Amino acid sequence: MALRMTAQRRALQGLGNGVLVLMILWTAIPFYWMIVTSLKHDKEIYGYEATLIPQRPTMANYATVFRETPYLLYLRNSVAVAVGSTVLSMIIAVLGAYAIARLNFPGRALLARSLVFTYLVPTSLLFIPMFALMSALRLTDSLHGLIIAYLGFDVPFCTWLLMGYFKSVPVELEEAARVDGCNRVGALLRVVLPMSLPALVVVTFFSFTHAWNEFLYAYVFTSTTGARTVTTGLVNFMSQDVFFWGPLMASTVMSALPPVLMFLVFQRWVVKGLTLGGVKG
Amino acid sequence: MATITSTTVSLPLPSSRRGLGWGDRAQRFLLHDRTLGYLFLFPAILVIVGLVAYPFAAAIVMTFQAKTAGAPGRFIGLDNYRELFSSEQFIRTVMNTVVYTALGVGVKFLLGLSMALVLNQERFCNNLFRSFLLVPWAIPTVMSALNWRWIFDDASGLINNVLVRLNLVDETISWLSNPNLAMLSVITVVVWQGTPFFTMSFLAGLQAIPKELYEAAEIDGASVLQQFTNITLPRLHPIFVTATMLSAILTSSAIQFVLILTNGGPADRTMIFSVLSYHLALGGAQRLGMGAAVSLIFFPVLVVFIVFLTRRMLREKGE
Repeated sequence: MALRMTAQRRALQGLGNGVLVLMILWTAIPFYWMIVTSLKHDKEIYGYEATLIPQRPTMANYATVFRETPYLLYLRNSVAVAVGSTVLSMIIAVLGAYAIARLNFPGRALLARSLVFTYLVPTSLLFIPMFALMSALRLTDSLHGLIIAYLGFDVPFCTWLLMGYFKSVPVELEEAARVDGCNRVGALLRVVLPMSLPALVVVTFFSFTHAWNEFLYAYVFTSTTGARTVTTGLVNFMSQDVFFWGPLMASTVMSALPPVLMFLVFQRWVVKGLTLGGVKG
Repeated sequence: MATITSTTVSLPLPSSRRGLGWGDRAQRFLLHDRTLGYLFLFPAILVIVGLVAYPFAAAIVMTFQAKTAGAPGRFIGLDNYRELFSSEQFIRTVMNTVVYTALGVGVKFLLGLSMALVLNQERFCNNLFRSFLLVPWAIPTVMSALNWRWIFDDASGLINNVLVRLNLVDETISWLSNPNLAMLSVITVVVWQGTPFFTMSFLAGLQAIPKELYEAAEIDGASVLQQFTNITLPRLHPIFVTATMLSAILTSSAIQFVLILTNGGPADRTMIFSVLSYHLALGGAQRLGMGAAVSLIFFPVLVVFIVFLTRRMLREKGE
């Protein structure tokens, strides 16, 4: 009996290791191709002399991206939009989440419900009227417009996430602070926020990467180089047809790096924060 | 326990020599739960109303209009819907969207579950493997789509490169422009990018199952398979439901994979509702009403999932 069990376990472990190897290959090969292409000369990318392993690696594609394309501008725009929408949604979400978690007023439950509901409505249902709205407000082709538009996703999500965390901060601590003369705002700033640091990290990660990765709104609301972010900028490179795979993969590698690094650093918290309300299914 | 509830606590206001002055009264008013609650939530409400509720209502109105950007719409009743339902392209789009979502979510689910089970085993360097397997999720979806478009490239892409090298094909395969392969190719990319989400969710669920359950089952002589069907599966069930629904919403409405890989082609074989909606509204003809109608027809299906998830997400946060 026990013997059969051990045999079963060993077989499963073996099977697991085999599956793991396949999964790693499946995950790694596209990365490999992306990075390797970015390091090749055109000769090794196309035609009869195409290689699987670069024979003479080069950084020329990276140089091309910076010298001959507005990539740096796109990068700057992405950073500006990501920072702007993160800071704004953080402030709005902290206040809103605190109100829902701690204050008692009519309509509280309904507001909590509408926030989550809003978060789940996909942007593909909203982009057409949003485009009309943005045009009417003259916010197309502008970074401000994108920052504002992204709040529609970031605020509901961040509020929902913070709400749960704020509830887990013991009320007694806050009351002690208030007995000592802190008002609500003081208690929020000096007691609740410092104790919610992990949640704030997750919220920052999500709104920053969301802005960095967002495509549909950025694509629909911008048509000029000056306001393009990295995602729409690269898609624009592709559709121009003069831009080839070497430099395109170089810029892809560079654009993917910031969110991946952030993810690896904050992974522990991110996975916890995502277990239910995660984005990008 | 002598609890001081947040509504009854008396605030230690600074004593004023002039009695209750304007400032004190203002402060007391502002610090009242109700006032402060609405004040704190005001920006969030503004965001919900301005950036989601209003556009959503506007979308509904638009579907009854013939409207181009910048011009006011003209009421045309149900004409947009009538035209859509008699259009072959739209019927094909509906079927494509169902296949795309069902197959994409289904494969992500199965792969994610296998990955989670494998990563839940004990082994050397497991944390490292886990981090690595999750990376596709952290990459911007646009970057993944661009990368895969190059992998599928007709002439020099990775797959054709390898197939030719191994003499497996005489002619390179057009993964993205062959009508029979295009949809499967697009779904492959969706699966590559989205599997880690399921892996993460399921792994968290697996790790929350108490070890004692398995130990007890083992003593009772339950086989590994029995343990899986009687402990693991029922315990994961709530996560199965939420992850699948969330993924169905996001997969069906993600536009970037199809837009970048095939743009709906060849011959509408990969046309899904978000892409058709984009083409109709902003791809030249500027029929905003038609475009909005395409997306909204799918809303009744989505709303079932959305309502269910809203309940569950609030319950998780103790609401």
